[in-house]
Amino acid sequence: MTEMWVNMGPQHPMTHGLWSLRVKINGEIITDAEPMIGYLHRGWEKMMENRDYHQIVPLADRLCYASSLSWSHLYCKTVEDLLELEVPERAQWIRTLTLEIQRIASHLMWLAAIGTDLGSYTMFLLPMREREMFLDLMTDLSGSRMTTNYPRIGGVRNDLPPNWERDTLRVLNLFEKRLREFEALFDECSAFLMRTKGVGKLSGPEAINLGMTGPFMRGCNVDFDLRRDDPYEKYSEVDFRVCTHPDCDSYARYRVRIDEMYESCNIIRQCFQKMKQGPVRVKSPKAVPAGRAFAHVEDPRGEGLMYLISDGSDKPYRLKVRSPIFVIVSGMPAALIGEKVADIPAIMGMADMCLGETDR
Amino acid sequence: MVESSNNPRDKKLRATGYMLKPLWVTLRTMVRVSLPGHRPRTIMYPWEKSIIPDCFRGRPGIILDKCIACQKCVKVCPTTCIKMVQIEHETLGKVKRPEVNVGRCMMCGNCAEVCPTNAMIVTPEFELASYTRDDLIYDPIKLQHPWKAGYEINYEEQLPSNMKGPAAKKGSMELKDTVCLEAKKCISCSRCEKTCPTGAVKMTDTGEVNEKTKKPIKRPVFDDTKCVSCEMCVDVCPKDCLTMKEAQ
Repeated sequence: MTEMWVNMGPQHPMTHGLWSLRVKINGEIITDAEPMIGYLHRGWEKMMENRDYHQIVPLADRLCYASSLSWSHLYCKTVEDLLELEVPERAQWIRTLTLEIQRIASHLMWLAAIGTDLGSYTMFLLPMREREMFLDLMTDLSGSRMTTNYPRIGGVRNDLPPNWERDTLRVLNLFEKRLREFEALFDECSAFLMRTKGVGKLSGPEAINLGMTGPFMRGCNVDFDLRRDDPYEKYSEVDFRVCTHPDCDSYARYRVRIDEMYESCNIIRQCFQKMKQGPVRVKSPKAVPAGRAFAHVEDPRGEGLMYLISDGSDKPYRLKVRSPIFVIVSGMPAALIGEKVADIPAIMGMADMCLGETDR
Repeated sequence: MVESSNNPRDKKLRATGYMLKPLWVTLRTMVRVSLPGHRPRTIMYPWEKSIIPDCFRGRPGIILDKCIACQKCVKVCPTTCIKMVQIEHETLGKVKRPEVNVGRCMMCGNCAEVCPTNAMIVTPEFELASYTRDDLIYDPIKLQHPWKAGYEINYEEQLPSNMKGPAAKKGSMELKDTVCLEAKKCISCSRCEKTCPTGAVKMTDTGEVNEKTKKPIKRPVFDDTKCVSCEMCVDVCPKDCLTMKEAQ
């Protein structure tokens, strides 16, 4: 039988954002796949070369719409590394817990997306409803729902507002109940299990070779997490488990993300217990010394990395972004080949595509 | 593919048994949100507005009485949507005040954060749609917004040299960047005095006399209590003899 190329996207319900997947099919079997990106290229890295260091913080938020805070935090951390600026204790705690709130909100966005991918509207509505609680928390804290502009070079913008700790703990208590409800909705649904179990198999060594990181790699049974293995901010002082799953299929990646949400709740609670009063922001110099610095953090999607070259002026000479999804989607053909066409949403959905950071 | 899984429930419950739990969750949620006393998660938007906190970052606003035209907001805007335009002031005559292109604004709140007099504020107004692009360019008069506590952005900062000490409030003397004069290069043009929005620069006699013109030589003297570190004098200096010394 003859093989043929089929375009999925750029306008396809399976593609979250603007990208396209070309698949070569032999009947129902995928024999080759080729992701095509670049529809959303904004020249972000070039644009940063004529903004000064303080102006880049809100623009770094725009890298990813679902987890903006982790990207602006990564940028601030990179500049702090170059300046060798010490961030106050309380600011580090606040950053840790806001990053975890952002992680939960981002994972809920993914959970809602995978619901529509697999054709269940209830699975879309319920996580979206819970996500709103975390966005409300971010609104109270920083004044904005998604593009928070909250971290600053040398700390965070403002201290926690009054009653925010109480609100957060209430939200977490409610959220953990709801998370068990989601497990009943997803894990005990035969339709969901049939769609995800045993598809998109990718072994651990293969995932490492392809450079995949984050929950996708942990779903391939690789025990690696930058929060534990190269701790930043206050992750070295909190106890948490790195979630892995031995199945190496789409279902494993789903399980890893759900477990991570439980762990994030634990981390936030520990942060509130160990946090002390104190300053939250250090005045940072406008001009940055000439030199190079890089920082990498565990983004909700994988390892985000920024590499900064400064020539001593008030603008960066070069700011390179390593986006986790760019690498994961490049390696996706390895997971797709041999599967059926109808399983593509179930496999690609687990990558949690975010085109803002992929195309930049 | 369910056959290949090693979940023990697969053997006990067939596909139909697996459907009941999610159905139960869905039905329970449906009943829960429709019972009296349980408010639904959605609101009837145009008729009913969601409650937003005072710190919500909508379009920028201005309190014209407080503005001193220091242009700090113009410099910090990442999208360059702020421009200074001339307006007629009741007592001061012709003055420059910021005009914001809201169509380009990304509501980051940086302008309110750097404003030394808290004249720029963030307002909770977010319904900004209009029929033409010209409507989206807010001149200083249209940009005005009544003040309320929480609209201005205040923060407390720490100097890197003073990590253990108390934090200083925005605009306090410790955090201020000051202007440094390299007196050798100065040509006494007094442009810095004319541009200073706060009157912090005074040209004073040094006592020396210029040998060619027989006129007394003047040098600018900076009053740090009035200075807002806007760097306008640094930008205007024709001989580049002014630099900013940052508070460390």
